[in-house]
Amino acid sequence: MTAVGVALGKSTRKKRWVPQVLNLRPSTAAVEPRILSALAALLLLAQLPHVVHLPLWATLLGGGLIGLRVLACKRPDIRSLDWVLSSIALTGFCVIVALLIRWHYGYFVGRDPAVAFLFILVAAKFAELRRGSDATLLMCLASFLLLTQYFYSQTIVAAAVTLPAVLALGHALAVVRDPVRAAPAASNLTLVGAMLLQGAPIAILLFIVFPRLSGPLWSLPEDSMATSGLSDSMSPGSIADLSRSSEVAFRVEFDNEVPPKDLRYWRGPVFERFDGRSWSAAPIREVATLAVDANATGTINYTVMLQPHRQHWMFALDRATGLPMSSSGDAKALARIMTDGQLISDAPINRITRYLQQSIPGDRVHTGAAPGPLTRNTAGRNPRAEVLGQQLAATHDSPEAIAAALLQRFSQAPFRYTLQPSLLGISPVDEFLFDTREGFCEHYASAFAMVMRAAGIPSRVVTGYLGGEMNGDYMIVRQSDAHAWTELWIDGAWQRFDPTGAIAPSRIEDGIGAALGADEPLPSLSRLTGGWMGGMQLRWDRMNHAWQRMVVDFDDDAQARLWEKLGIKKPALWQLTAVVLAVSCAWVALLIGLPGFTWWKQYTHERRLPPAERAWQRLERLLAHHALGRHIGEAPADWLQRVARQQPVLADQLHALSQGFARQRFAGVDDEAALGALESSIGALRKTLRRTPRGKTTSVPAPA
Amino acid sequence: MTSSSGTSRVTPLPLCADAHETPAAVIEQLSGVLIGKHHTVKLAFACLIARGHLLIEDVPGVGKTTLARALGVSLGLDWTRVQFTNDLLPADILGVSVFDRDSASFHFRPGPVFTSILLADEVNRAPPKAQSALLEAMEERQVSIDGETHALPDSFFVVATQNPTEQLGAFPLPESQLDRFLVGITIGLPDAATECELLEHGDRRATLDTLEPCTSPEQLKRWSEQAESVHVDSKLIHYIQALLAATRDDGRYGHGLSPRAGLALLRLCRTWAWLDGRDHLLPEDVQAVFPAVAGHRLTGSVASGQEAAADVLARVSCP
Repeated sequence: MTAVGVALGKSTRKKRWVPQVLNLRPSTAAVEPRILSALAALLLLAQLPHVVHLPLWATLLGGGLIGLRVLACKRPDIRSLDWVLSSIALTGFCVIVALLIRWHYGYFVGRDPAVAFLFILVAAKFAELRRGSDATLLMCLASFLLLTQYFYSQTIVAAAVTLPAVLALGHALAVVRDPVRAAPAASNLTLVGAMLLQGAPIAILLFIVFPRLSGPLWSLPEDSMATSGLSDSMSPGSIADLSRSSEVAFRVEFDNEVPPKDLRYWRGPVFERFDGRSWSAAPIREVATLAVDANATGTINYTVMLQPHRQHWMFALDRATGLPMSSSGDAKALARIMTDGQLISDAPINRITRYLQQSIPGDRVHTGAAPGPLTRNTAGRNPRAEVLGQQLAATHDSPEAIAAALLQRFSQAPFRYTLQPSLLGISPVDEFLFDTREGFCEHYASAFAMVMRAAGIPSRVVTGYLGGEMNGDYMIVRQSDAHAWTELWIDGAWQRFDPTGAIAPSRIEDGIGAALGADEPLPSLSRLTGGWMGGMQLRWDRMNHAWQRMVVDFDDDAQARLWEKLGIKKPALWQLTAVVLAVSCAWVALLIGLPGFTWWKQYTHERRLPPAERAWQRLERLLAHHALGRHIGEAPADWLQRVARQQPVLADQLHALSQGFARQRFAGVDDEAALGALESSIGALRKTLRRTPRGKTTSVPAPA
Repeated sequence: MTSSSGTSRVTPLPLCADAHETPAAVIEQLSGVLIGKHHTVKLAFACLIARGHLLIEDVPGVGKTTLARALGVSLGLDWTRVQFTNDLLPADILGVSVFDRDSASFHFRPGPVFTSILLADEVNRAPPKAQSALLEAMEERQVSIDGETHALPDSFFVVATQNPTEQLGAFPLPESQLDRFLVGITIGLPDAATECELLEHGDRRATLDTLEPCTSPEQLKRWSEQAESVHVDSKLIHYIQALLAATRDDGRYGHGLSPRAGLALLRLCRTWAWLDGRDHLLPEDVQAVFPAVAGHRLTGSVASGQEAAADVLARVSCP
C-alpha cells in the first residue's frame, strides 16, 4: 500500500496536468457493474490456485487491488479512488512491486518471480479497467494466469481447482457479450455450465487427436527448481530427513513378475569419495558397456514413471541388465550406465519420465574395472574406526569373514536403529561406532564402508530406495523408502552388504514403518498399512496414477500408439482438421437439433409453397435487405404503408404490391397473369431501391 | 315483478321507407349519435352482425347507454333495458311462474330477458348470482325455469355496459360470463373538437328519440349469412390459432383464450372483412378486431386488456 501512497502523493503535487489527463479518460464508474463483478469473480478464482506458492504480501496486494476497484464501482463518490486507480499511480505501483519481487526471490527471470509479477500485473490491469473493451483483454490475461499454475502442478487437484475459474470465465464472457439481457447470475451460470458440458466432447476429441509437440513447448529456467529426493552427497541425517516425506519418488508397473520384498533394491547415486563425514560421487566416472548375458534367466521387465527430481540419475532394480528405454517404442536409450552401476541421463529429470527397464535381481554388480584408489580412502578422521578395521583384518582372513564380523558386532552390541540419533561431531564414524551407537541407515552404511576400507577392502556407499508398496497393478516407491547400503569389492565384483539388515532385519522385509519404534516421527502413511485412511490414500494414489498415465502423459508417443491401436496411419493435419470440423458440426447440429431441423423443414417447405407465397417472401427479403424489414406481428399492408412513409419514392409501387398480394395471398384466387405482374413489380422495386440511396431512409417506429 | 324498477320495454317503430338498407347506412347513423367514435361503433355493429353479445366498459357519462340504445333503435329490434343493481335477483331478469287463482295453475310471466336486445346497464353492479342468470340466455338463447325451457327470440343480443371494476360497488364479471361477450369495447372520452361540438349541439340523447330503424331483423340475419361466406385462407386460420396459443403459452393471462373465443374471433373477423366490402379476410382484419375480442377475456377488463392484446399481436408473426 505504500506504493499507492507514494504514487498518490506524486499525483497531487502535479495537480495542474494530471486531472486533465485523468478527465480525458472515462471515469472508473463507466464500466457496467455487472461486467465488473463478473470479471472480479473470474480474477479471484484465477488467483486462487496461486495462493499456495506466492508470498503472502503478493496475494494480499493482488486481492487488494481487485477489492479497491470493486469499491470504486460501488462508491463512485470516493473521488480519491480515481486517483489511486489511475494508470499513472498503478504504473508506479507495478514498478515498486517488481523491485519487491526481485528482492524477495533474489532473481527476476524464473518461474516463481515471473508468475508473481504476472499475478500483480493482471490485478493492476483490472484495477485500471475503464473501458468495456478492456474486458476481453482481461479475460485473456486471466486465462493465462490460470494456465501458469500448471507450471507448478499437473495433478487432478490442480486441474479441479481451475474448474471454478473456467466457469467464471464462461460467465464473464456471457455477461460481456450480452450485457443487455441482465439474467441473474445463477441462471447465467446454469447456461454457461450447460454450454461448457456441451463443448466437453469436442474438447476431449481435440485433446486426443490434436497433434502434439514431441517435447515441452518451452523449458523453464531451472534455477528456480528445488530438487527433491536423494541428493548427490550423503552425510549423517540426510536420508533420515528424507524418510519423513511420504511423497512419491516413482511408480513401477511390472510386466509380469514382481520381485520379492528383500530384493527391491532400487539403485540410485553411488558414492565413492569419503571425506571423513560425508560421501559423494567420484569426480570422474566413465560410461560402462553392459555385458549382455544372453543366457540370463529371471529377467524382470518393468516400466518406471519417475517423478521429476531435477537430477540426472534414474532408478533401476539392482542389477540393471539394460538401459532405460523411452516407452514410445522407438528404442531410444534415455540414459547411460556408469562404471559404478548408476544410470545417468543426459538432461535432468524435470518432468515425469516414463521408461522401460529390465533387471535381474541380484546382489552382485559386475560392471566396471577394478576399484580405483578412492574406494580405499578412509580420510583419516576417524582413528578409532580405523583401528577397528585393522584389528578385524588381522583376526579374519577373508573379506566375507571381516564383513560378517562387523555385521555381527552391529547386531550384538547395543546398537539402535532410529530416525533421531544424537548429533555427531568431527569424527562421526568414531562417535557413532563407540559412543552414541544409534543411527539410521546412512550411519550404518557409512560406518560399515569406512571400517571395511580400513580393513583393506575397497568399498562404496550406494543410495537409493528399498521396498515399494503394491497398489493394485502397480508399485509406489516413496521418499520414505530411501535407503543407503554398501558394496564391497570381492572376487572381481561388487558385492552388496546391507548393514541395516543386521541391526533391523524387519526394515528390509517389512519396510521402515515396521523397523522403527512408535515414537519415531515417520509420515503416518508409512505406518498405516491397513485401515480406511491407508486405503483411501492408496485409492487416491491410484486415481492420480491413472490421471498421470492417461492425461498428463498423453504425448505424441501415446498418440502414435493410439493411431497404431486403431489401425490407422497417422492422419495429416488437414485430414484431422476436416474430421474435427465435421464431428464438431455434427455435434452442434445434434445439440441444436430441433432448430436446425425446423430450418431445414422451413427450407423444403418454402420450396413447396404456392408461387404467390414465394414471391411474397422474395419481397420480404428484398426489403429486409434494405433495412426495411417487417416487424414480427406487423400486418402486410401496415408494413408496406410504413415503408412507403419511410421511402415516399416507393409509395405507388408499394401500394400496388400491397393490393396485389392481398388478393393473391388471401382471396383464394389463382391468377397467373396477376402473379406475373406482381413478380415484375418486385423486379421494378428492386431497381428503384438500388437507385435510392440508403441514407435517405428515415427510421419511423412501427405503429403500435 | 317484471315491472320492477329499472326495466322498460320499447316496441320498435315500423321501418322507415327511405332507409338505405346497407350496413354503411347503419354505421353512419350510429356515428351520428356517438360522434368521433367510428371504429367503436363499427365494432359494436359488427358484433351484432356476428351474432355476438357486446360488452361496453367505461366510466359513466361517455355514452355507453346511448350507444346501446342507438343500436337497438337502428337495427329495428325491440329492446329492453334492465338496470342492474346489487339487490337484483335472477327472477327480475328471467321472469317467474305465478299462481293463477282462476285456473288454479302456475303461469310463466316472462321477464325482461324475452326481447331482442337486452340492454344490461351497469351489469357488474349486480352480484354474481344475478349475473349468472344471463349465462344460459346468452349462450343457448333460451331460459330454463322450473324445469321448463323457454326459447328466446332468434335475434337475441345482450348489450351490457360495465363500470371499471375498480369503481365502488362493482363486482367483477366471472370469466365464464366474460367469455360469452363476443366483443368488449371502451368508448373513451371525446377529443377536444368533438367535445366542443357536443357542448354546442347539446345532449345527443335527445336525438335518440328521433332515430329511426335503418334495417330489419330479417335483413340483419341475411347480413350475418353473407358475412359467414367470407373466404378465409388457411394461412389466416393458422395465424388465428397462433394468436390463441400465444395467449395460453406463458400463463401471463390465466388460461388464455378459449376455443369458443377463437370461433368468435373468426366470426367477427369475417364480419369485419364483409363490412369493408371484401369477400376475403386479410391479416389486417384480424389485427383490427383482435383487441376487442381478446381484451376483456384476457384481463377481465376491456381497458387493461387492450395492452395485453397488443402485446400478443406484436409477438406472433403475421402471415
